Amino acid sequence: MLETGEAREVHHFCLLTGFGADAISPYLAFDAIRDAKDHGHLKENYSEEKIVATYREGIAKGMLKVMGKMGISTLQSYKGAQIFEALGLSPEVIDRCFAGTASRIRGVNFEILAQELLLRHEQGFPSRTETKRLPVLPNNGLVHWRHGGEKHGWNPFTIAEIQQAARAGDKNAYRRFATLINEGEQRQGTLRGLMKFRPGNSIPLEEVEPASEIVRRFTTGAMSYGSISAEAHESIAIAMNTIGGKSNTGEGGENYERFADNRRSAIKQVASGRFGVTSWYLTNADELQIKIAQGAKPGEGGELPGHKVDKIIAATRHSTPGVGLISPPPHHDIYSIEDLAQLIFDLKNSNPSARVSVKLVSEVGVGTIAAGVAKGHADKILISGDGGGTGASPLTSIKHAGLPWELGISETHQTLVKNDLRSRVRLETDGQLRTGRDMVIACLLGAEEFGFATAPLITMGCIMMRKCHLNTCPVGIATQDPVLRAKFTGQPEHVINYLFMVAEDAREIMAQLGFRSIDEMVGRADMLDWNRETQHWKAKLLDLSMVLTRASSKYPNAGTFCTRAQNHGLEETLDQSYLLKECRHSIETGERITLDVDIQNIDRAFGTTLSHEVSKKWGPQGLPEDTIRLRCRGSAGQSVGAWAVKGVTIEVIGDANDYVGKGLSGGKIIVYPPDGSTFTPRDNIILGNVALYGATEGEAYFRGMAAERFCVRNSGAKAVVEGVGDHGLEYMTGGRVVVLGDTGRNFAAGMSGGIAYVYAPDKAVFNMNCNHELVDLDPVEHVDDVAELKELLEKHHIYTGSTLAREMLDNWDEELGKFIKVMPRDYKRAMAELQAEEAAAAAGESAPENVLAH
Amino acid sequence: MGKPTGFKEYSRETYRERDPLVRLGDWSEFAEPLPVDHLQKQGARCMDCGIPFCHTGDLLAGMAAGCPVHNLIPEWNDLVYQDDWKTALDRLHKTNNFPEFTGRVCPAPCEGSCTLGISEPPVAIKTIEKAIIDRGFKEGWVTPQPPKSRTGKKVAVVGSGPAGLAAAAQLNQAGHDVTIYERADRPGGLLMYGIPNMKLEKEKVVQRRLELLEAEGVKFICNTEIGKDIHAKELMERFDAVVLAVGSTVPNDFFAKTPGRDLRGIHFAMEFLTKNTKSLLDSQHEDRGYISAKGKNILVIGGGDTGTDCIGTSLRHGCKGVVNFEIVPQPPAARPANNPWPQWPKIYRQDYGHVEAAAKFDYEHVPGKTLPDDPREYSIQTTEFLGDESGNLIGMKTVCVDWSRPIPGGAPFTVVEGSEKTWPGELCFLALGFRGPEQIIAEQLGVDRDPRSNFKAEYGKYATNINGVFAAGDCRRGQSLVVWAINEGREAARECDRYLMGKTNLP
Repeated sequence: MLETGEAREVHHFCLLTGFGADAISPYLAFDAIRDAKDHGHLKENYSEEKIVATYREGIAKGMLKVMGKMGISTLQSYKGAQIFEALGLSPEVIDRCFAGTASRIRGVNFEILAQELLLRHEQGFPSRTETKRLPVLPNNGLVHWRHGGEKHGWNPFTIAEIQQAARAGDKNAYRRFATLINEGEQRQGTLRGLMKFRPGNSIPLEEVEPASEIVRRFTTGAMSYGSISAEAHESIAIAMNTIGGKSNTGEGGENYERFADNRRSAIKQVASGRFGVTSWYLTNADELQIKIAQGAKPGEGGELPGHKVDKIIAATRHSTPGVGLISPPPHHDIYSIEDLAQLIFDLKNSNPSARVSVKLVSEVGVGTIAAGVAKGHADKILISGDGGGTGASPLTSIKHAGLPWELGISETHQTLVKNDLRSRVRLETDGQLRTGRDMVIACLLGAEEFGFATAPLITMGCIMMRKCHLNTCPVGIATQDPVLRAKFTGQPEHVINYLFMVAEDAREIMAQLGFRSIDEMVGRADMLDWNRETQHWKAKLLDLSMVLTRASSKYPNAGTFCTRAQNHGLEETLDQSYLLKECRHSIETGERITLDVDIQNIDRAFGTTLSHEVSKKWGPQGLPEDTIRLRCRGSAGQSVGAWAVKGVTIEVIGDANDYVGKGLSGGKIIVYPPDGSTFTPRDNIILGNVALYGATEGEAYFRGMAAERFCVRNSGAKAVVEGVGDHGLEYMTGGRVVVLGDTGRNFAAGMSGGIAYVYAPDKAVFNMNCNHELVDLDPVEHVDDVAELKELLEKHHIYTGSTLAREMLDNWDEELGKFIKVMPRDYKRAMAELQAEEAAAAAGESAPENVLAH
Repeated sequence: MGKPTGFKEYSRETYRERDPLVRLGDWSEFAEPLPVDHLQKQGARCMDCGIPFCHTGDLLAGMAAGCPVHNLIPEWNDLVYQDDWKTALDRLHKTNNFPEFTGRVCPAPCEGSCTLGISEPPVAIKTIEKAIIDRGFKEGWVTPQPPKSRTGKKVAVVGSGPAGLAAAAQLNQAGHDVTIYERADRPGGLLMYGIPNMKLEKEKVVQRRLELLEAEGVKFICNTEIGKDIHAKELMERFDAVVLAVGSTVPNDFFAKTPGRDLRGIHFAMEFLTKNTKSLLDSQHEDRGYISAKGKNILVIGGGDTGTDCIGTSLRHGCKGVVNFEIVPQPPAARPANNPWPQWPKIYRQDYGHVEAAAKFDYEHVPGKTLPDDPREYSIQTTEFLGDESGNLIGMKTVCVDWSRPIPGGAPFTVVEGSEKTWPGELCFLALGFRGPEQIIAEQLGVDRDPRSNFKAEYGKYATNINGVFAAGDCRRGQSLVVWAINEGREAARECDRYLMGKTNLP
């Protein structure tokens, strides 16, 4: 049990608990609230009990969020788990207080900690007692910049200069900007700020590869349409397409209209929410990026508040207008490195010409993870640093999550070289890269591609309001409010100007160091040294030698940058070896075809590349229903029918593995046991986990039970199944699901759209299994609902021969009463609003007639 | 930020001004307060920026961007919106010793760099600042705060303008015995005699603050000029440290060689303004100790704030007419591309004197005037002063200049041929700015000067080459804003305190 005046923020409580505290009494935090109350700063009349209870509740919610980020469900597991990495603590402190915790660059000892503590004490209790203390403490500018407070890379001066540089193409302003970033006080806030270049054999600038080549290695950050406005998102895409770099959709999907022109984002992100991830979306990519985590807020994803989800955004994301969207912490189809390899394989099949990249965050051990990812055949790995992130990230994440990319990229590069994997993958890094110097250091530490996000936004007018979550961005960037969007004055040229200045800046450094190309420079950490001249008093015990080691010095024969392609084994799939050839004519002409296929569990992602080819030819609308019918016999391998499109029907007579119909994009999947099977379908599992994860459209009929996580993040597919395991329909935002048998626990958790009809003769049991947080349970009464349910049951019977469905239909009047309609309350509200709007529109049209009638 | 959408809902409203023709009949302040609910809405317009450019206070492109004293603007905007005026006042006093001065006379660089100003009229920061401090005085919240104990150290502050007063206030708070020397009969420097009463009331506003400082323990010694009445060296012997805040008082005279410069009726603006305020305060103008503009045509050369003050003062005397001459071109109505936010916007504005003159006189029908609703003429240069036989000014001649055609290696403009004009005028005021401080103190002490004749001391350090002698305000940086003077005075006090005590808690 700990009594302390220091603990006040969520992170403090997490840390104390994580290192073993059972109970914490933050008496000073309570005193501060009492003081606020005594001075009339609290609006309501808070009693002593309420002050304590409210603060405790706030801290508990914050801790829950942090535990969620780490994938830990119970406090018991979190307590004493010591899942922290220290940045800048000396071995003396670690050994005594945090034994076993990683602290890779060493740092401050007890003496410096004490000095810092005394400085803080002096603010509250000055040693000079003549001075009358003013009744207000200083604002240290921890989050919002304040004069004389914490140093921020983005401050009034850097923003003024970069905007001037980008808008007017003013190279002098860029020079001043770069000087502020590279040599200003804030350099002491980054690890790269503590480094300097070693002298090299300089070469003439003309011999260095041109800026137009360098900018092709630039990407922009994964900021979703939704988090930022269409204007801002499209301007970035146009800029990057113009210079041959790559913009990133972010995790919010992309409006199909943009695919046809230079507003198309080259990188299409696939995140845990799978918003708008359809076959057509994947087909229109040069790179498919699996976001495992975000550098600035590892363990969290996008959080789009309801007021930013307008109709177009909801349509792009296949969700409900006005309903907030939270990306789940994990990908529901990735629980292991093998699962990740599977997703890489699935995506590669969904668009063989696109590279597949995996976005990881800087953390201790990321090198090992990256080695696994490289072996899982990713074409590129992105190591994301802690500097980035939206102005709207939770404060615990802004301040206490993530680590600098300098650590992550160097560890990753070193590990990959050591295992001779480096030549198979490209490495990218991001996280507040701002100048040519930043870029060159990233390259020397191991990156060959470079991501920029905040800086391009700022060139287009972002002023770091940190109001991204409020929809009130006054420069029309992080808002969907049409009035505010009209204030957007950014131009693609601003981004282009800036990025070229960065590239030219980098070229000058390359000439000094003697590098003619980026490839030569990758991983040359030996060209960096620690800059001891501009040392901060707290930095004197840091040790960067781990970062500044050249990997290839020990492994001279290993490649140091990407020189060869991964072997994805695509040619071995049934799609490549059989389906595409047989279906070529149908794909070209739309002529119907039915193929019989023997399938085994090694045949993965069946029908995915076929669907990609249909998308390529026919676009998002696909082909007429059942144009290509594939009748498979056997056990289907993983991801059968992943991103299957309209016109493709896959029938599996047998059973199927995990990920059936992942991302289903309009296709139809039917699974049922062969004739003569002896088990009762409704009691036996016929398909694996995570079926229909992220499905957006299409139909699926399963005669038998699905395993766990059925229809997670379904946003439009219709499915009938005879029973589901735990976590069914989690985070669902659209579509229809009929469950004719038992459900597991936690059914409909986080479900914000779509409807489920569950056959529950024992309502008490279902009540217990269902997560009621967001949904209402109603009887199936409305005539439309009844008709819909009946139609789905009839189809289920026809497609799968389900006797269960037949019996229910035969006994309809009695059985109907045993169905429960599960409907999210938000979805109900949105539907009601939509109806009212339509009614109003209809009334508006007929108004003139009424006037005449009178 | 009390209201995230405040900036979308409310439009900008600044403090009201009394009717120009009415206020010309007296010397009271032209500004009138806004009702409290209006002020709260103005506070609600603040967006609580992640980076409050308003609070920056450093030079961008040579001009202040944001508040030089780093006022905690987002904090007190929100507090005003929340109706917590007392806390707002605490926050305001934390960074600014004299918000009642800046709330009246500051050009408000904060508003020039307000982020709302990118696309909308900026937050009415100056109006809110003035409202907070005026409310504080009205409620009796502003009381003398003498230090708890004294250090026994003695500091002399030379000059009682805003820099000297700010330094004195801070040094006194740190427990030092502070004596301010002022050569005029009243303390306050430009605050007392430079800025006229209708902009900054002397008895109600300036005197009020001087009395507070006195009650806190600051000693004022007036009618005493260091360098003349007391040798500067003697001052150093009597005190542990000296802060020089003597201002920039040597006026520019670009017309020294212009024909007719010796005519009677041509005065430096500061002479006109000082005598006017002194006579007003001494005797309500009964002693006739001022230069009267009554019934005369007034020519004001120089289009800055001082020029405006000459216009406003002449109008209150009852002048027959007034024209203001400015050599630079008329600024544009909106920011040009080379003057982007967050730089101080160099745009056309009308200050109080211009509004009053335009209300009083029909400039459309004044011969030679091109601007129909403003006393100012731009891109115009005086070539000759005209006099009668007895040596009295009767008018002057001007030519127009063209800034788009600079002379290579010469003037940045060319004279427009055939643009000569003649203007009638019996009084002419030269409001051309100041060259630098008077040199006698520096000479006596051996203080180094910079090439512009200012006392040499690094910004942020304020120490001159003479141990224990500090310099702050216009005498160090050259003529500038009141708010810069406060900033320098405060920071020089911090350095002086550090010098005296080895460490400091002053901001």
